[in-house]
Amino acid sequence: MTLGYRPGDGLLHRTHPFTTASLAGAVSVLVFVLPGVLAPWGLVAGLCVLAAVSGLLPVLGTAAAFSAPFWGFLILIHGVFRDDLGTAVVLAGRISAMLTVFLLLLASVHPGRLVDAMLERGAPFGLAYLFGATLQAVPQLQRRAAAILDAQRCRGLRVRGSLVRRARAVIPLAVPLVLGALAEVDERALALEIRGAGSGARRTPLDPPRDGAVGRLVRWFLLAAVTGAVLWRLLS
Amino acid sequence: MARLSSRLLALIPLAVGINLALGKFASATSLPLFLDTVGTVLVAALVGPAAAVVTGLVSQTAFTIVDGKLMWMAFLPVQLGIALYAGLAARYRMFASPLRAVASGLGLGVIAATLSWPISLLLFGGVTASGVTLVTTALTAVGVPLRWAVYGASLSSDLLDKAVTFLLVYVVLEALPRRMAVRFPAADRSRGRA
Amino acid sequence: MSVHLEQVAFRYPGSGFDALRDLSLEFAPGLVHLVTGRLGSGCSTLLLVIAGLAPHVTGGSRSGSVVTLGLDPGGSGRRDLAGRIGLLLPTPWTQLSGMAYTVAEEVAFGPANLGWNRDRIREAVDGALRLVELERFADRDPRTLSGGELQRVMFAAIVAMDPAVCLLDEPAMELDLETTEMIYQHLPALARERTVIVATTDLDRAVRVADRVVLLDGGSVIGEGNPADVLGTARAVEAGATTSAARIAYLAGIAPTFPLTVSAAVERFSR
Repeated sequence: MTLGYRPGDGLLHRTHPFTTASLAGAVSVLVFVLPGVLAPWGLVAGLCVLAAVSGLLPVLGTAAAFSAPFWGFLILIHGVFRDDLGTAVVLAGRISAMLTVFLLLLASVHPGRLVDAMLERGAPFGLAYLFGATLQAVPQLQRRAAAILDAQRCRGLRVRGSLVRRARAVIPLAVPLVLGALAEVDERALALEIRGAGSGARRTPLDPPRDGAVGRLVRWFLLAAVTGAVLWRLLS
Repeated sequence: MARLSSRLLALIPLAVGINLALGKFASATSLPLFLDTVGTVLVAALVGPAAAVVTGLVSQTAFTIVDGKLMWMAFLPVQLGIALYAGLAARYRMFASPLRAVASGLGLGVIAATLSWPISLLLFGGVTASGVTLVTTALTAVGVPLRWAVYGASLSSDLLDKAVTFLLVYVVLEALPRRMAVRFPAADRSRGRA
Repeated sequence: MSVHLEQVAFRYPGSGFDALRDLSLEFAPGLVHLVTGRLGSGCSTLLLVIAGLAPHVTGGSRSGSVVTLGLDPGGSGRRDLAGRIGLLLPTPWTQLSGMAYTVAEEVAFGPANLGWNRDRIREAVDGALRLVELERFADRDPRTLSGGELQRVMFAAIVAMDPAVCLLDEPAMELDLETTEMIYQHLPALARERTVIVATTDLDRAVRVADRVVLLDGGSVIGEGNPADVLGTARAVEAGATTSAARIAYLAGIAPTFPLTVSAAVERFSR
């Protein structure tokens, strides 16, 4: 079961990140707009084919694993307790379609290349930087959190017991993590500033993905399909 | 869009990292908390509402990507509300005492639940994150209409989570050494010292 | 003169005293300048003021005039000076850009932010990595490097921007001997066309490449000139800012000026 980028050279890997992202956006809207209980599942089927063609079949396994708890709850709440299996099926399809297309996006788009694509299209430096830096900062802080948990446990921190004791245990865990992070802000800011983060110049994308005519065509098609579906739904 | 200063570019990814990392402590202590907005509230208390809004938006995006579930992006308005509320709370010196912090945290709990309720109900039929959905399931099982089941579940988890979040931020602000606090424009006011 | 400070005072926000007081100094290109003094004497602050980072990023208040490369680095000259002043900080990890997936991308961070075209960036990155002997690391993930290797990457990142003023703040604080030697040995060549200013308390090594020394104490200049004249005095020993060899010579009762390096001491004692 994997989450995140898988290096590869298939169809989706060669597609421009904006095209894949547009697909994710289109699917997210279409699952709500297309009528019929099975419409979202039709999209899921299409995505499965796309995954197969792009050499990303394992991603489907992850999508199924992620969807399973949702299916479970949906069947329980809507199917059993409210006796409305139809709603359960539609909602399950919606969630599965959105999960699948997004996991395919994450698997085929390297965050660095996406950032470069954004910069190539004129995205402001701050936006691109926050996106890229956050994706690196998150696992870093999660590792530190794990280390603090281990360290405090070694020092005898008890994480079991009464509710009050457990709640109080959060403090010697959370406070060091937060203070440690805040202490770094100054030096990080100095380094960023001196390396031109505040320079006002337009950052050069280092390795932007190439955007072909096919990609652009696909994006226009998706936009047309979504707009058409929304209008048709509104008018009928 | 005003150019983000280097200090904010350095702070915001760390704040988002805090948002996504604290959940580990909640699960380690088996507490029914998320603690996934501590970073946003902290930025509101240290810098201000605008920076907190950016933190919240980036945070929701990061959470969506890291969790692999695109649906979470639908909850962006909730993050917006949390950031703005926290900014207001900071401006009104709500981090000056633990009591004020918990009280305003409870207020945020109500607002967060009320904001996420329609999104959860209308778009996802009330099925979202496992913990909360368990409560929803239990309530529907005993016959509560879906819309109240979803609201009840959201409220119960958000009240506790946001109160603890605000209390945590209060503790951090108290523990912050003076020379670090002065580098952040809103810190003194949030603590009622200005 | 590429750097000119006139009666500069600086105070950090929330601080009760001035970190720099009534400081007037000049730095010329073509030399390796060494700024030293005990901890808290203002060496790092001086570098931050020269770079304009104090008060712009640190906050605080500055009085007096600072002119770097003909402009005010903390105020109106900030945009024009972007990339022309380089600063290497002591800890490698906090200098990571945060958005680079390879060492080459990390070194390219500065040049890319300055809007250089890709060919110029590639050339600068290749040259910088060659300088620090890390070409084979170009595709490595920076997070897998050791502290010493990472600091070399950061040094390369600064050099890649081709700054006219190169500031180094305790560059070898967390480094192994080999990396420390490497960084110091590049400084004279770097200084040939630039102004290089190193702030450090690791004088045993720094003194071998320094052409000029500035001694600070409590935010003011208490000595300035060539290394022997400044560091080989009793005052430098008492200020806690000199080399081990000089300290030993002082304790041994030798008359100033004290020898600064082991080889100089050997020569002096054998006479």
